[in-house]
Amino acid sequence: MLDARVWLVWALTMLVMASFTRNPLYLVLLLLVAVVVGSVCAPKQGRGTVTSPLRFAALALPLAAVFNALTAHLGDTVLFRLPDRLPLLGGPVTLEALVFGAMNGLTLTTIFSAFAAFNQVTPVRDLVRLTPRAFHEAGVVLSIALTFVPQTTRSIARIREAQATRGHRVRGLRDWLPIVMPLLVSGLERSMGLAEAMVARGYGAVSDRPQPLRTQGLLALGLFLLLGGWLTLLFLPSWKGAAVGAMVVGAVLVVGVVWWVGRNVSHTTYRVHRWTARDTLAVLGCGLALAVATVPLPLLDRGTLYYAPYPRLAMPAFDPFIGLGLLGLLVPAMVITGDPE
Amino acid sequence: MNMRRAISSAIYTFAGVIGVLAFVYPFLLDMPATGSLGVAHGQDAMLVTTTLVGLSLVALLVELQGQAISAKTVALLGVMVAIASVLRFVEVAVPMPGGFSPIFAPIILAGYVFGGRFGFLMGTFTMLTSALITGGVGPWLPYQMFTAGWVGMTAGWLGQISRFQSPISNVIHAGGWRLEIALLSMFGFAWGLLYGAIINVYFWPFAVGTAEQSWAPGIGVGEMLARYTTFYVATSLWWDLVRAAGNVALILLLGAPTVRALTRYQRRFHFEVRSAHA
Repeated sequence: MLDARVWLVWALTMLVMASFTRNPLYLVLLLLVAVVVGSVCAPKQGRGTVTSPLRFAALALPLAAVFNALTAHLGDTVLFRLPDRLPLLGGPVTLEALVFGAMNGLTLTTIFSAFAAFNQVTPVRDLVRLTPRAFHEAGVVLSIALTFVPQTTRSIARIREAQATRGHRVRGLRDWLPIVMPLLVSGLERSMGLAEAMVARGYGAVSDRPQPLRTQGLLALGLFLLLGGWLTLLFLPSWKGAAVGAMVVGAVLVVGVVWWVGRNVSHTTYRVHRWTARDTLAVLGCGLALAVATVPLPLLDRGTLYYAPYPRLAMPAFDPFIGLGLLGLLVPAMVITGDPE
Repeated sequence: MNMRRAISSAIYTFAGVIGVLAFVYPFLLDMPATGSLGVAHGQDAMLVTTTLVGLSLVALLVELQGQAISAKTVALLGVMVAIASVLRFVEVAVPMPGGFSPIFAPIILAGYVFGGRFGFLMGTFTMLTSALITGGVGPWLPYQMFTAGWVGMTAGWLGQISRFQSPISNVIHAGGWRLEIALLSMFGFAWGLLYGAIINVYFWPFAVGTAEQSWAPGIGVGEMLARYTTFYVATSLWWDLVRAAGNVALILLLGAPTVRALTRYQRRFHFEVRSAHA
């Protein structure tokens, strides 16, 4: 098992890489990496995802391709023409626009697949454990909610059974009323009991103090710098250096406040996950992938990361060294395969 | 105390403006196109925007929980979030038509009764918890959390408008609970459409690329809005209409008894015994 932080770094690296490149060959490579890592590392009884990546691809790719082809009248290779009287759709439908749309769908599919793998391989309890200490109350709310989810599901089943014995059957939306109301009222009653139990155990005895004024002030200053920097970046691009500087200082202030607030919260863990050499290797793999995209190394042709099919469709270039670097994202699957657990 | 309130207001304002700007920035850009027909900028912008939205959400949560949340609020929030999250689980397990989602009605009704702050937290945590249990964590999550938070927060404002003494609240009271539920239904309908329109904007510049109907740096606000409207009508309107109609149906059906139950418990939750020297 890899540390949840490693998986977070992996997912974020996939997001950055998929956002960074517009070359479909690299995108396909990243998509394959996401699929392999997801299928190798996901536990057999793991969580499912909202939609399977295959289903997402089947929807996103043709939709994005057709939509772009019908609405973007750019490119030299005309497939057919739509009558000019059709508002926005009228004009030439080109192969280049079709490909560009499919590339957009491919990017979204890659990002979706990466996070689908992340969701499959990371247990919920490990994700909750990643909550910064500063969010103590938020963590408590989240823990209560996650604990009550199975109870609520059981309550629904119990209420349905009870109503069924009275001859109630769910045929339409209206028939949910006798199920939802007892569920809500029993939930509210349970929360009342829980609150009393929390108070009896001393919850709130020390946390009723409001936030120190200095903390609030730093938080406000951090947000002000982020907002000011962003507005400057958007509307005064010539001030880019100052804008980015302000945003970095703002981000550091917000993160610093979170760290500072969290320092005062004691935190206990029953089972400590030890950082292993496998975790380090996986992070290094992510670092390698990021490096090939962002560091101007002499052997790499970083221009191949960008590709546009306009004005005439051509085969995108592929740098094998960049391809090898992207395979660094496969390291989690390699180290897991060798794990005796 | 005034200073504290002023700084708190500043935090809410800055975080709110960053949140709004994250969604509307494609309409405000007026700069020359960058390389690859402006695509490169779109990608940078998405990463920057996601980071900014995440940071402002973090700042807002630190501020919100710094205002001393009572045990009752924490417990109530946890249980209500669990109920709404189970409804999302039902939505995932049993596919419903279009964008129909049963989670917005509880967020709206809870925000309406318990206030804007509770509504914001309920919306935010419902999205987070349901994403955790359904495997929906991704770069879209901060946007979903922010938008669902706005749904709950504005429902709280609606509740305040209808409770405070004003010509509007007098009209609502004169109309009785039927008018209240009708108002909430319209609110649910509007948010059903708005939620989709807002969530679309975050990936629109990134997803569709350079087309006459898509985001392209340098075009004016009016032109951009016209293109986005076309994009929205072509891709999302019918989907969001089902969500909006679902919100209306759920609020019409469950709104009155739910508001009554929540109001009854709100009185119980606000009951406190304070010692004489406190």
